[in-house]
Amino acid sequence: MRLLRSELLRARSRRMVSMVIVGGLIGIVIGLGIASFYSHKPSAAQLASAQQQYDATYQRCLNGKYLGPNQQIDAGATSVADVCSTAVTPPLDGIMLRDIEQILEHISTLVILLGALLGASLGGADWTSNTMGTLLTWEPRRMRVFLVRALVVAIFVVAVTLFLQIVFALVYWLATDVRGVTAMLPPHLVGDTFATMLRVSSMAIAFGLVAYVLAMIGRSTVSSLGVLFGYLILFEGIVAGFRQSIAGSLLVRAATVVISRQPILMEPRDFSGPGVPVPIVLMDVTKAWTVVAVYVLALGAISLVQFRRRDVT
Amino acid sequence: MAMIEIDGLRKEYRRVRGGRTVAVDGLDLSVPEGGVFGFLGPNGAGKTTTIRCLLGLVRPSAGRLSLLGADVGHALPSVIGRVGSIVEAPAMFPRFSGRRNLEILARIHGDGEFAIDAALERVGLRDRAKDPVKTYSLGMKQRLAIAATLLRDPTLLILDEPANGLDPAGIVEVRELVRSLGAEGRTVFVSSHILSEVQQTADHVAIVAKGKLIKAGPVSDVLATTGASGVIVKLADLEAGRRALADANIPATIEAGAIRAELPPDQSERISRTLAQAGLYVTELRPDTVDLETVFLELTKDQGVGD
Repeated sequence: MRLLRSELLRARSRRMVSMVIVGGLIGIVIGLGIASFYSHKPSAAQLASAQQQYDATYQRCLNGKYLGPNQQIDAGATSVADVCSTAVTPPLDGIMLRDIEQILEHISTLVILLGALLGASLGGADWTSNTMGTLLTWEPRRMRVFLVRALVVAIFVVAVTLFLQIVFALVYWLATDVRGVTAMLPPHLVGDTFATMLRVSSMAIAFGLVAYVLAMIGRSTVSSLGVLFGYLILFEGIVAGFRQSIAGSLLVRAATVVISRQPILMEPRDFSGPGVPVPIVLMDVTKAWTVVAVYVLALGAISLVQFRRRDVT
Repeated sequence: MAMIEIDGLRKEYRRVRGGRTVAVDGLDLSVPEGGVFGFLGPNGAGKTTTIRCLLGLVRPSAGRLSLLGADVGHALPSVIGRVGSIVEAPAMFPRFSGRRNLEILARIHGDGEFAIDAALERVGLRDRAKDPVKTYSLGMKQRLAIAATLLRDPTLLILDEPANGLDPAGIVEVRELVRSLGAEGRTVFVSSHILSEVQQTADHVAIVAKGKLIKAGPVSDVLATTGASGVIVKLADLEAGRRALADANIPATIEAGAIRAELPPDQSERISRTLAQAGLYVTELRPDTVDLETVFLELTKDQGVGD
């Protein structure tokens, strides 16, 4: 507990944490400022007309006519109402509060990158400052140091990313209220939005922990980020593109599935029968969570073993 | 009980291009309780590696180490709270204030603000406590690191080259601090390659070279190793003085414009009386003691130190 308090103080004192928060807030203000600038609030007549069309389309959808041309059923949907709330969109331009969940999914890459940055920084700072030796002369139980620090990374990543997402949602709500549309909201919007935030933050924690354990192996922040992005871009981005079958084992794909709740499907290669081919599920949500957990735990175990064995010079 | 016990310590490092470097080669050492213990040797003698092994930072290739009676390999956590240490350069977070650096460490041990204030006061850094460490001079960083070691009110202090890189004023400050810590009944284990510095503070010393122990014991015993001690006498007529001393059975030679009498310094009174009786009056009378540097060079001349 004492070590945890010490590590929390150390992490709280790091400039990187405040930089990420301030940078995130500035990004939110600029991004939503630009979106608001190009949006406009519809008139009452436009809104009434749109509402009428929306209600009619929504009702048709509930009656079973929910698949238009090129439309797919949301794999995460559990009811017809769920399907319709996604499939039917109001006939209006500009920013709409009902889109908040989707927008959070779209900016999740940035949030996850912030998590990785925090994890790498919190893991690599002691090696860069050469203070790991000092710390270990106060707490020589390296496993304890490693695990407590991982916990601190998780705590800080979830706190920072949730805070930024909540601020984003509130500012977006304000922006839609002033320059967009806050009507025609799907049911459970608040709960679903918060669930999306939690899924995004969970993935930010996972990437933060991966960056942390890489920093402990490479003994620097830079090496951690270099290896992580090198792997994600070169291997998962390029090499994996040549073999679709391994998509079900990749970290980025798994994170995407967790956040979007959309499974990765693959067309069967040698389908020759009549009718429509049934796609193969390469990765569903459960498998995606498992893949992410395996990456974190496997890399964590390797990092812990080498941290316990290697000399600190 | 010995505060530090080292038995057959050996540490090898693997070279990047193959082969091994032996940093410590079968070192045996016992550090008694209380006072200042000087751990001497040139750069590369294995002092820092030995300290890293003692603190569990480096895994020994062979040998047994104990701190405060606890085996370092298995029971270090049980005694580490009574050991304060600085290894090589004081390592602190440069952008954090001195106080924040101490707070982070103090929380591990459960110490409060009072202990931090007391430690800062002790090393004279209370006025600069809120400044970032990167604005500190090397001496101030060294003192901050010592303050960190004092947070735990340690029984044993292990300081690796605490005067390294300091200006003369800084050296004096650290020397006084080390001396006072030793006088409080703590055991202070100080490694250094500045032999004259250690001679002024240590009660016991151990001399290492090339990873091996050359000599250990109380400073007086180690200084007596070469057997060289005497009294330097200056007076107007050196030859007359030498003859007068020889007549009184005091062996003496003339060296570099002075007489060197082969007599323990505590018998200087015999010299002045003999010369006065011969009508010769001394202008200078001082002990010609050997220093650690001389002893060190004498003891290590066969080890190829400095080659």
